Amino acid sequence: MAQRILICDDAIFMRTMIGDILTGAGYEIAGEAESGLQAVERYKALKPDLVTMDIVMPDMGGIEAVKAIIAVDPTARILMCSAMGQQALVVEAIQAGAKDFVVKPFQPARVLEAAHRVLGG
Amino acid sequence: MTDARRARYVALFATEARSRLADARRALAQWQDAPGEQEDAAEEIFRALHTVKGMAASLEFAAAADLTHSTESTLSEIRRGERTATKSWLRDFERALDEITAACEAAIVAAGGEGAPTAGRESSGPRIVRVDLERLDALLQDLGGLVTARQDLERHAAADAFSPVARAAIALSPRLDQLQQRILDVRLAPLTEVLERIPPMVRDLARQLNKDVRVELSGETLEVDRAILDQLAEPLLHLLRNAVDHGIEFPDDRRAAGKKPTGRIAITARRDGDTVALAISDDGRGIDRERVAARARQQGILDENAVLNDDGLLAILARPGFSTAEAITDVSGRGVGLDVVAARLHEVGASLALTTVPGHGTVFSVRLPTRLGIVRALVTGLGEERYVVPLTHVTELAAWEPERVRESAGRTMLDVHGDLLPVVDLRRLLQYRGNDAPAHRPAVIFESGGQRVALLADAVHGQVDAVVQPIDRLIGMPRWITGATVLDGGRPALLVDLASVV
Repeated sequence: MAQRILICDDAIFMRTMIGDILTGAGYEIAGEAESGLQAVERYKALKPDLVTMDIVMPDMGGIEAVKAIIAVDPTARILMCSAMGQQALVVEAIQAGAKDFVVKPFQPARVLEAAHRVLGG
Repeated sequence: MTDARRARYVALFATEARSRLADARRALAQWQDAPGEQEDAAEEIFRALHTVKGMAASLEFAAAADLTHSTESTLSEIRRGERTATKSWLRDFERALDEITAACEAAIVAAGGEGAPTAGRESSGPRIVRVDLERLDALLQDLGGLVTARQDLERHAAADAFSPVARAAIALSPRLDQLQQRILDVRLAPLTEVLERIPPMVRDLARQLNKDVRVELSGETLEVDRAILDQLAEPLLHLLRNAVDHGIEFPDDRRAAGKKPTGRIAITARRDGDTVALAISDDGRGIDRERVAARARQQGILDENAVLNDDGLLAILARPGFSTAEAITDVSGRGVGLDVVAARLHEVGASLALTTVPGHGTVFSVRLPTRLGIVRALVTGLGEERYVVPLTHVTELAAWEPERVRESAGRTMLDVHGDLLPVVDLRRLLQYRGNDAPAHRPAVIFESGGQRVALLADAVHGQVDAVVQPIDRLIGMPRWITGATVLDGGRPALLVDLASVV
C-alpha cells in the first residue's frame, strides 16, 4: 500500500507542487492543511505516514505544530519545508522533533530523497 | 516540468500572489492607521511576503523573489526592533509592495500567464480558462442574430398555437433564455481589473500634491460585463483624481479642522439586485454648495431663490463646460470634467448620484449594470446604414406626407393627429450624404421629457431585441450615439438614444 502523506502549507501553490512531486513517485496524499492548527487536527484524524510542514503559517506556525503533533504521537515523521533565511528555525524544528528538512524552491529529487529517508525506506 | 504543469503553477501563482499581496496591502493600511499596534500587521505582511517569495523562487521568477526577499528582510528588522517604522519608512515599504506587485505581474505575463488579474477569487475556486475577447464578442453577435430569429419564429408560431412548429418554438424558448443568460455570464470580469489600478495612482497623485491619502477597496471581486468594465476605468479615475485634488485637504488644514492628517478615500462595491452599487467616498472638505450655486445663478441656470440639493448640485456640475470654470475649480468646487464622467457612465447604462456634506466629505454613487442590456428596438435605415432606436420612448409611427408638414417659427413641424410636433431628420443629424431621400419617409414619434418629437428616417426595417454593446468613443462622435449592436446577418448598427437627440 502506498505510504500516505499529509501536506501542510498555507499556499495552495506549494501544496500543489509538493503533492505533484510526491504523487509522481507513487506516494498517496492523505490530506492537506493550511495552518498549524489544521495540521494538528488532520494529523490526529488521518494518521499519515509522513507530514510535510511549512514553517510560516497562520494560526499556529509550523514549529508549534511539530511540538503539538509530537506530543500526541512521539513517533510522528515530519519533514520541514523552509524558505531561504530560516536556518535558525529549522534547527528549532529539528529539536522539537522534526526528522529532516528541505529548502524552497523545491528540487524534486531532494524532496523525494528526504521523504524516503524519513520514512525509513 | 512539463509545459502544462508549469502553466498550472503559473496560474496558481497568479491567483495566490495577487491575493496575498492584497492581504499585505490591507494590513499595511491598518498599520498606517494605528502605528502603535504594528505587531499583527507586521506578522500578516511577513507571512504574505514569505509565501510570495517561496512561490516566486519555485517558478524561478528571480526578480520577484529577490525583491520580496529583501523587502521581507527589512520587515524582519522592524519586527526584531532593530529599526523603527517611521512614517517615511512605511511609505517606502508601500512603494516596495507596489514594486513587488509589478515584478510578479511582469513575471506572470512573461511566463504566459493571464495578465488580467482575478485577485481575491477564492483560489480553490473555479478553474479558469482563457478566452480571446474577440471570441466572446463573436458569441455575443451570434446571440443578437439568434434573438432576432427567435422572434420571427415566435411570431409565426403565434399564428397557430397548436401547430407542431408552435410547440417546438415553446420548447425552444426557455433554452434560448438560458443560453442567452450563460453567454452574458461568460463575459463577466471582476472589478479588480479596474480597481487595483487606483491605489498606486492615488498615492502618486497625493505625493505630487503634497497630500496624505489612504485608499480602501472593498467588494472588488464583484463581476460585471467586460465591455462595461472597460468603459468604467476612465470615469472612475476621473472621480478619484477630483477627490484627491479637490476633496482631500492638505494635512495641516485637516489638522486645523480636527481631522486625522491622512485623508481617506474608500471605494466600495456591493451587489444590489442586477446591479453593482459602487461608492467613491472621501472624507475631505465637501463641495462648496454656495459657491456652485452662486456661479450657476450668475450663468442664469439657477433661479435666484432656488435651494440647491445634492441632485441639483450634480445636475449643475455635470453640465457640459460648467465645472471647468476657473472660479469653481481653484477654490473648493469639484467636478472638473464631471460632465464627461456623467456622459461616459450614461453610455454603459450606469447612473451617477452625489452626496456631499461640508467639512465631512463627498460620496459619488455609481449604479452599474452587471450585464449588457438587451433592448427591444426599432431598426431604422438611411440608405444601407442601420440605426437602432430603443422602443422605450417610441409612441407610434407616422408617415411623412407633404400635406402634413408645417413651417412654424422657422422650424419644420409635422402634424400628427392635430398636434404639431418638432421634426428631427436623421439625415441632417448624421450629415448623411448618400443617395437622395425617398419620397415617402416614416417618422418615429417618441416622447422625451414630456415632449413629443418626430424622428424622420428613410425606412423602418422592423423590430429586434438588440444586444447593446458600449462603443469605443471616437472624438467628435455625437453624444446621442450610445452603443452598437449587430443585426441579423452580421450587419452592425448604431444605437440612437432618443432622449439625447432632443
